[in-house]
Amino acid sequence: MPEKIISVRHLSKKFGSFQAIHDVSFSVYKGDVFGFLGPNGAGKSTSIRCLNSLIKPDSGTIEIFGESITTHRESILGRVGSIIEKPDFYKYLSAYRNLEIFSRISGKPSSKQEIYKMLDFVGLGGRERDKFAGFSHGMKQRLGIAQTLLHNPDLIILDEPTTGLDPQGIIDIRNLILRLKNEQNKTVLLSSHNLAEIELICNRMVIINKGRSMVEGKVSELMNGENLILRLEASPLSQAKKVLLTWKPELQWENVGDTALQFPIEKSEIPLLTKFLVDQKIEIYSLEAKRTLEDYFIKIINQ
Amino acid sequence: MILFNSLYNEIIKIALKPRSYLGLAAITVLVGVIQFALKADGMSIISFVTSSFEQTLSFEGNVLNGNLVAFIILQMLLVQIPLLVALVTGDLVSGEAAMGTIRMLATKPISRIQLLLSKFIAGGIYTLVVILWMGVMSVVVGKLLFGTGDMMVLNSDGLVILQEADVNWRYLGGFAVAFLALFTVSSLSICLSCFTDNSIGPIVATMSIILLFTIIGTLDVRVFDPIKPYLFTTHMAAWRSFFEDPLPLSAISRSIAVLVVHNVVLISVSLYTFHHKDIQS
Repeated sequence: MPEKIISVRHLSKKFGSFQAIHDVSFSVYKGDVFGFLGPNGAGKSTSIRCLNSLIKPDSGTIEIFGESITTHRESILGRVGSIIEKPDFYKYLSAYRNLEIFSRISGKPSSKQEIYKMLDFVGLGGRERDKFAGFSHGMKQRLGIAQTLLHNPDLIILDEPTTGLDPQGIIDIRNLILRLKNEQNKTVLLSSHNLAEIELICNRMVIINKGRSMVEGKVSELMNGENLILRLEASPLSQAKKVLLTWKPELQWENVGDTALQFPIEKSEIPLLTKFLVDQKIEIYSLEAKRTLEDYFIKIINQ
Repeated sequence: MILFNSLYNEIIKIALKPRSYLGLAAITVLVGVIQFALKADGMSIISFVTSSFEQTLSFEGNVLNGNLVAFIILQMLLVQIPLLVALVTGDLVSGEAAMGTIRMLATKPISRIQLLLSKFIAGGIYTLVVILWMGVMSVVVGKLLFGTGDMMVLNSDGLVILQEADVNWRYLGGFAVAFLALFTVSSLSICLSCFTDNSIGPIVATMSIILLFTIIGTLDVRVFDPIKPYLFTTHMAAWRSFFEDPLPLSAISRSIAVLVVHNVVLISVSLYTFHHKDIQS
């Protein structure tokens, strides 16, 4: 079992009469890219703020690197890099000066060369002396990532890091996270509304809704228990439909244009169906099994 | 070490914020205007003040000298300077909350106590710079423009003549007590700053409190008499005591004690509040 990096147990927090989170529990292991999912208002930000000791929970425990955030706050935060909600910097200061300020209190102050290198790494090379106020949203996000990584943390907490980025920016951040995991074995906790992104890069996840953790586990295992949607493009389609009813009389499908249809199927049935269609002389042009996190996510939060 | 680093950050932030120079610019302009006015028509003002003494005293030499000019300037301006200090210090915590940077700072491995202490110290350094600039502009520039000489001070007990050689240390003492009074304003504004995420609110609230306390202090109403000695505004003019002869040491000590107690209470309340605060900005 890999080393447990984050252990959150029965976390609860109330703001006045509003119960922001109630009994949230999850664990993140070394090397995980851990997806933190939930609809707006589910309690993601409150949980992440508790992890960073910005908010003190009413009950529950948080251990990071095996130590309580309550008693070992400074030593833990020295090994954590975070972007919470959006990166906010001093508008009247340059990108370089902003990084220098946060670096100075990060526990591992960086040299001028290291700051320049980091700015270059996130694609802000040449903009070191530009004021933060003049940065586009994407540039602000990149500067936020630079601030997060500058002191070489072991745990990186990214709250919606791709919000507002253009497609290339999203791909860059995604690749960066994968590089951090694969090349440096960093642990990443990634909160995102972009379910496709979570599906692409996370190995484990938790879904929280209405302040409670609903499911937690490996993305592949959680999704394996789910039915697939099979999209079949075949000819002749009318004959294919008849064959499908012979194979499974209760089967219900949906037409996709004039040449394809889709229907739910269990993973183990796919090879049998393929053989059956071929045996019945149906020409198969394409067969695509879909299982999206989006479907799974909606199912969980509607429970 | 991290406290020193954080203090360095706070000083950099104050030094690079354009608003920080408003106070210094305002002092330069105000002192300049007063000095110009005194240079142009100062003797008529002095004649008006000394006319009531002319039957018993004769004034010779440079009466309107740098020492007197500096005293007049300080008397006129040390009431306004708190606003200039609060403009910067009232923003130190709430301004960060409004910008969202307090969230970024609070996720760093520095304790909130150290973070806030560094802001108090930086606020104190800024206050010191303001006071020193005030001193340079009023005393140093005043002496350069008006020359030196014995100092004539008119206070509630009558006219006090201080020898030229006896003035400089009094200015030093006066500025030290004025610094303590202004640092109390700085502490008050930072304290108020810990309770809100609005950057203007603490500045306005600080000035409102100073106005309220000043009005209470000047109202000749008995019901306020018991609290007047404990209001920090009562002691903001304690610097003037250094220009009395003999020096009212007990009054000066009492003022210093009241101001120190105010600072200790305000800093303690701020540290407690900030340490226990949920940062939601």
